[in-house]
Amino acid sequence: MKRNRINYHEILEIRHLTESTFIIRFEKNGLKFKAGQHICVGPPDGVHSREYSIYSAENDPYIEILVKEVQNGLVTPVLKKLKVGQSVVVEEPVGYFTVKEEKVQSNNFLFIATGTGISPFHSIVKSNPQIKYQILHGVRNAVESYEKNEYPENNYILCSSRDKSGDYTGRITNYLQDVTIDKDSEVYLCGNCNMIHDVYDILEAQGIPNSQIHAEVYF
Amino acid sequence: MKYYLLTLGCQMNLSDSERVASVLNAAGYTKADNEEDANLIGILACSVRQKAIDKVYNKIFTWNKWKNKKNLITFISGCVLPADKERFLKLFDIVFAMPELPQFPKMLTEYGITSPMAIVPEPNNPIDEIQLFWDVKPKYDSSFEAFVPIQNGCNKFCTYCAVPYTRGREVSRPSDEILTEVKSLAEKGYKSITLLGQNVNSYGLDKHGEEITFAELLEKIGEIGEAINNEFWVYFTSPHPMDMTDDIFHIIAKYKCLGKQIHFPLQSGDEKVLIKMNRKHSVEKYRETMQSLRRILPQATVFTDIIVGFTDETEEQFENTRKAMAEFKYNMAYIAMYSPRPGATSYKWEDNITLDEKKRRYAVLSEELQKHTYEYNKSLIGKTLKVLVREQDRKPGYLSGHTDGKIVVRLASDNKELIGQIVELKITSAARFSIEGELVEKTVSC
Repeated sequence: MKRNRINYHEILEIRHLTESTFIIRFEKNGLKFKAGQHICVGPPDGVHSREYSIYSAENDPYIEILVKEVQNGLVTPVLKKLKVGQSVVVEEPVGYFTVKEEKVQSNNFLFIATGTGISPFHSIVKSNPQIKYQILHGVRNAVESYEKNEYPENNYILCSSRDKSGDYTGRITNYLQDVTIDKDSEVYLCGNCNMIHDVYDILEAQGIPNSQIHAEVYF
Repeated sequence: MKYYLLTLGCQMNLSDSERVASVLNAAGYTKADNEEDANLIGILACSVRQKAIDKVYNKIFTWNKWKNKKNLITFISGCVLPADKERFLKLFDIVFAMPELPQFPKMLTEYGITSPMAIVPEPNNPIDEIQLFWDVKPKYDSSFEAFVPIQNGCNKFCTYCAVPYTRGREVSRPSDEILTEVKSLAEKGYKSITLLGQNVNSYGLDKHGEEITFAELLEKIGEIGEAINNEFWVYFTSPHPMDMTDDIFHIIAKYKCLGKQIHFPLQSGDEKVLIKMNRKHSVEKYRETMQSLRRILPQATVFTDIIVGFTDETEEQFENTRKAMAEFKYNMAYIAMYSPRPGATSYKWEDNITLDEKKRRYAVLSEELQKHTYEYNKSLIGKTLKVLVREQDRKPGYLSGHTDGKIVVRLASDNKELIGQIVELKITSAARFSIEGELVEKTVSC
């Protein structure tokens, strides 16, 4: 599909999940993507854009991204002020943080995220209804569990480090110290770099092969 | 009217500058030897380092002062970050993205009537736009070495690099055009042809099966080499490890015109640093590919890129890089001390390894590199090798060139007619990063 150098997509819906986090739904305009890929999105009249993992499913008739406002940032404060009916500038989806079809059929998946790092996993599980998965979501406060009702209760574990409202009180790394991970699992890590480094050590110590560990760092 | 072009940065910019020169020559401009003699001055900018951007500002402030004394039009193109582009619009007369090059003469004609902003054409399809750019026949700077762009843009988003923000997403040039250009160059007697792209070996992937793969492209170039009497060597840069496949090595092994030198960037030998760099491959995957390379192409030389002192790189992580350097036995490594690049993701992180520590790590890696390069170069003594003579050496009375593995060779000779020829040399001595040889009577190719 031929695209212009600058492509405007009309905003269809905005859902504010917390004071600083929101989902923007905008026109798909024929864009195709693989769940787990990211997309560059920016305000309609600015020169800057940022990469966001796609939150919505491959076959949804729209695209959604999950955005956390960065104080004094060049992009997110502007995106936050946009209204339905205005547009965002969108580039073609790219990225390699995707799941292989044959693995979806045969393997268990462990998705480990911090904060908005849950975004690609939402897209993956909604795009692959048959996938066998467990999501481990690390947040500071349980309010940051971002649409956790989207996942069956048994598939989603919330680790909250600053309140006791999660399924587990403490960091993801503390939780993982006490569990044994199936060595055949495909493990996907998405979120802040420190979490990924720490979890990487735990996975390595548990004997998870490097080839089964996939990481996408959020910066 | 004379033009002067200042090109900053990488081989891709050098290649782009050949096309800019071609467009300006076709429009009736002639090249000036220096900027003082020119009425049209342009920069092909590089956003990789702040130093290069600082140079742009220094130059434009000087040139804008010259406008009080003479007629002068200034322009800028190349790798420009969005934020810099906004500033440059106020400083330069014309600012354009490289894919807009075919419209450049029109912009020059219209300059003075409208503002630079107004003459930038309406946004086009980026694929059509880059196609028009590739349609421009370059004016090659050399008569025996040429760069052929095959791919533009980057989808990899390494955290230390701004290229995805300056050149956009990966677009592959049609293979029939590449093959026509390579064949034409080979027939004209070009000896060294380098295929260029930000991720050269992801060639074709953006076309989702509607274009041949990089390995298939190399195979077709290999067939061109077999059909042409002239000897020439084809290289490519820069590849990404995640797209490096065994079939590429098999094709290189099969055809003599495909240079037996592989540029294979490692960047770091530590898994966690690679994750932080967002390199999308592990050391383990790199090692597997390197083992294939050595098995399939045992005669190949391997060059690499490494960054030392990346944000938060610990001593232990650096040591893993040193061990990787020892293990992979490179013939050359372009070691860079990390410096934050404006526009790149890592620019916002603290550059928390001191310059002294970066220098130390640089020195340690350089020493490690030399252990192997010297051993390898000594192993060539007594052998007769084909060498492309490229230029007069800095050492008086000497010429220099490189083997098909791009090992630098010096030759005691004043015969400038050898420049641009592939000759046979008997290797007589070796140093850490070069070898020296004597001319064998028969000239192989001219």
